[in-house]
Amino acid sequence: MAQNIFRSVKIDKEDLMDSDKPKKINRRAFIKGAASTAIAGGAAVTAGCKGKGLLGSSEAFALEFQEYFKTHYRLMTQIEREKTVSRLERIARLKQDMDIKIDTTGPSEKVLYGYAFNVTRCEGYMECVQACVKENNLDRKSNTQYIRIFEMEHGQMSPDQGDGKYFHMVPKEGHFYMGVQCFQCDNPPCVKACPTKATWKEPDGIVVVDYDWCIGCRYCMAACPYWGRRFNWNQPQIPREEITRKQHYLGNRQRVRGMVEKCTFCIQRTRKGKLTACAEACPTGARVFGNLLDPDSEIRFVLENKKVYRLKEDLGTEPKFWYFID
Amino acid sequence: MKKSKLIRYSFYPILFCLIPGVFILFSCLPAFSGEAGLASRIKNATQKMDKKNQVEASIPKMKHIIAVNVEDQGGTFFTKARKVEINRFKCSACHNNKSVAIDNAARISHADIQVVHGNKEKSLACNTCHSEKDRDFLVAGEGTKIDFDHVYDMCGQCHFRQKKDWIGGAHGKRVTYWAGERVVENCTSCHNPHSPRFEKQWPKTYSVPLK
Amino acid sequence: MKKETTLKNGVSFIKDILLWNLSGSIGYQIYLCILICLMLTGVYGYVVQFKLGLSATNMSNIVSWGFYISNFTFLVGVAAAAVMLILPSYIFNDKDLHKVVIIGEVVAVGSLVMCMTFVFVDLGRPLQFWHLVPGIGQLNFPSSLLAWDILVLNGYLALNALIPAYIVFCHYQGKEPVGKYYKPFIFISIGWAVAIHMVTAFLYQGLPARPFWNNPLMGPRFLASAFAAGPAIISLVLHVVNSATDYKIDNKIFNKLRIIIVSAAVINLLMLFSEIFKEFYFPTHHSQSAMYLFFGLEGHNSLVPWIWTAISINVLGTLMLAFNPFRERQVFLMPALVLLIVGIWIEKGIGLIVPGLVPSPMGEIISYSPSHVELFITIGVLGLGMFVVTMLLKPALIIEKRYEDMVGPHQ
Repeated sequence: MAQNIFRSVKIDKEDLMDSDKPKKINRRAFIKGAASTAIAGGAAVTAGCKGKGLLGSSEAFALEFQEYFKTHYRLMTQIEREKTVSRLERIARLKQDMDIKIDTTGPSEKVLYGYAFNVTRCEGYMECVQACVKENNLDRKSNTQYIRIFEMEHGQMSPDQGDGKYFHMVPKEGHFYMGVQCFQCDNPPCVKACPTKATWKEPDGIVVVDYDWCIGCRYCMAACPYWGRRFNWNQPQIPREEITRKQHYLGNRQRVRGMVEKCTFCIQRTRKGKLTACAEACPTGARVFGNLLDPDSEIRFVLENKKVYRLKEDLGTEPKFWYFID
Repeated sequence: MKKSKLIRYSFYPILFCLIPGVFILFSCLPAFSGEAGLASRIKNATQKMDKKNQVEASIPKMKHIIAVNVEDQGGTFFTKARKVEINRFKCSACHNNKSVAIDNAARISHADIQVVHGNKEKSLACNTCHSEKDRDFLVAGEGTKIDFDHVYDMCGQCHFRQKKDWIGGAHGKRVTYWAGERVVENCTSCHNPHSPRFEKQWPKTYSVPLK
Repeated sequence: MKKETTLKNGVSFIKDILLWNLSGSIGYQIYLCILICLMLTGVYGYVVQFKLGLSATNMSNIVSWGFYISNFTFLVGVAAAAVMLILPSYIFNDKDLHKVVIIGEVVAVGSLVMCMTFVFVDLGRPLQFWHLVPGIGQLNFPSSLLAWDILVLNGYLALNALIPAYIVFCHYQGKEPVGKYYKPFIFISIGWAVAIHMVTAFLYQGLPARPFWNNPLMGPRFLASAFAAGPAIISLVLHVVNSATDYKIDNKIFNKLRIIIVSAAVINLLMLFSEIFKEFYFPTHHSQSAMYLFFGLEGHNSLVPWIWTAISINVLGTLMLAFNPFRERQVFLMPALVLLIVGIWIEKGIGLIVPGLVPSPMGEIISYSPSHVELFITIGVLGLGMFVVTMLLKPALIIEKRYEDMVGPHQ
């Protein structure tokens, strides 16, 4: 019975094949032709691109090809890190004719960074925003800013009631100013959300992104309760003379489109003992930065002597950014 | 359906719902760790640290700094010297009881400084702070001389709260480095002593109206 | 000898599938051409997007997920709905629905392909997708819900592709498929279907940063709307199959599906009412997202007409499907299904994703509507889905019909 069915199936097929033979040959020929055209066309396009230099010089291309296959930063050995840094520096030399220095300094075990913002002292000058944009090589075309200053009316404390888009003489009567940026949470929801572990919390408290590992799914952006993260929707454009040459692999090195980035407490500066660009730029001294583990630091003085609060504390994210009033 | 079949076939869905369910619950575990994390870590960090080796970087020694005459919570700290910033110090080069010939005296005289310090009715006068007897110094309320470099003692007479905060670190700014020896801006590094309030200005940049 | 024949059969199986797919009436050829045109529109859109980056879309740092993820959310539900055919036919041994299970599974495969394509075009760096593969990359399992989603979606795709492939291949060879090879996987897929949609719901539900999403009703609501919209889409496909091919589908099947759809749609409306009550009985700052969706905020009200349309046609479609004067006549069934599908698509797609992200966590409001590039790519992906469904369904139905004629009606 089974054999009969099988044979009947076979006969059907043969009938089909015979009646369709002329059509089948034409179809086969068409498919063959189309495939070979596609391959030839693809080869021509690639060759044309290479010839025109659209892919850059072949050395830069080869370096970028190697960069594509590199592993996650945390899994790299020191030698691999040095190799990727030298590749990136070489690519910058070839493609932008620029000498940059990419640092890979690790965290110090004695340090846990903390930040305090004096709401009484901020006058809304936005010098911090400008300094941050310059220091961290942020895209000028889309006006990306890690810091956002909110103009708040007296009587409310939550920035979602404030105006982040003001542009007039400051300070305005009856208003005060407060700035938000990534708060480097101690229990970061963005780290939990990332599907590729491209973002993590360093031992010194900074939440960093391995830009080349990020696939750009933007789940971390949905997970952040403070609007701390930015995405490169377009290829970043920075005027050549404004590019900061001293970079850190996890910090202000130049990103390409399609990756998520955020404030890193100026990791390229702070791991060398310097203040963040925003803290240094503030003319009124509204920003206090330091080591939370050092009992003599200014940040510890603020936490112990001032009335401090954090935003959205009820979410349990444990941000390391406090606000206080004089 | 036969009972044994039902049991056999329902085993798989139960297995494949329970195990992921347990996994998801495990991924919620950090929520139960509570507030123990950051706050207690900071509170327990009471051991004094060496200022010099918190980061593996050498902090260059800064020029034109002086030691403050009070200690902060960590010991001696430094602030910026002010006399180097005053173009025509020493004041006694002109302000003495000898007759001195000065080029362009009219241009460099500063009798036209507007003092916007204090309230409108009872603004501060020049000799509230500047010693009449010795122009190279400031004078405190009780008559003691204060050096320009230690102007914080001057300002701190009225603004004692800000001075206390400045010593601790909640007021003012550190100079360039958060690590290493503590060097902070002096009062007059940021505040013009004749008009100390920050002026209204346009913001340095703006945040785009988002698309 | 047995392996050889299986291999030979396998080769001719694939050859026949290609043949059947490419041959057909003139209507069918035109239909295929239209699908290819749709797909080419998508390709054009993607080329533009690849050149400009995601700035070709209207997404921004506030509305960081837009039209692509909205469609993804809706289509995962449609994929999960295949379980509504599998459950009655395998657990309750419903003979009528057993006949159309294959169609449900093919629709599930089509929508899963669409889902994965939507995620792919939404990624900022799709070429780096290998970073997700455990082993060569890093998968943040079990912390990240997105990692969970990738695993369960791929697993479900495998289940829904391989089980029917096995069954259809056996039918092609004229053999009865061996129960113990596939039946356990069918039962796994029942639980797995519920899992894929709960996990997709948990993607949003697990974010305390977004109060509009962070409520326990998301998971069950997703299931309810999926089991309303999914079988509705399957019903539409069955209508097309019934009228365009000679694979006849009995009215009883449509009625059974209708009962499932109406029950799920009513539960969906109940859950919608529950959410509306929570947002508007005592509005807090957390209700700002719902205010934005239903009434607009600060002049931004682009979503308001959409959501009200969605809810009205949702209710209308449910009523049309539930009540007597309409349900016996096919002429009212089709529009009712379409109304329901469109209503749920709007409410679960753009009406869920965009309000969840607006206002931003810092209270800033922005308007969003898909750009031309997003629309082109979406059209392309929908064309791709329909293409996949057609390519899989046509040979499957031919083989099923042939097998049925051979062995008589299904036992």
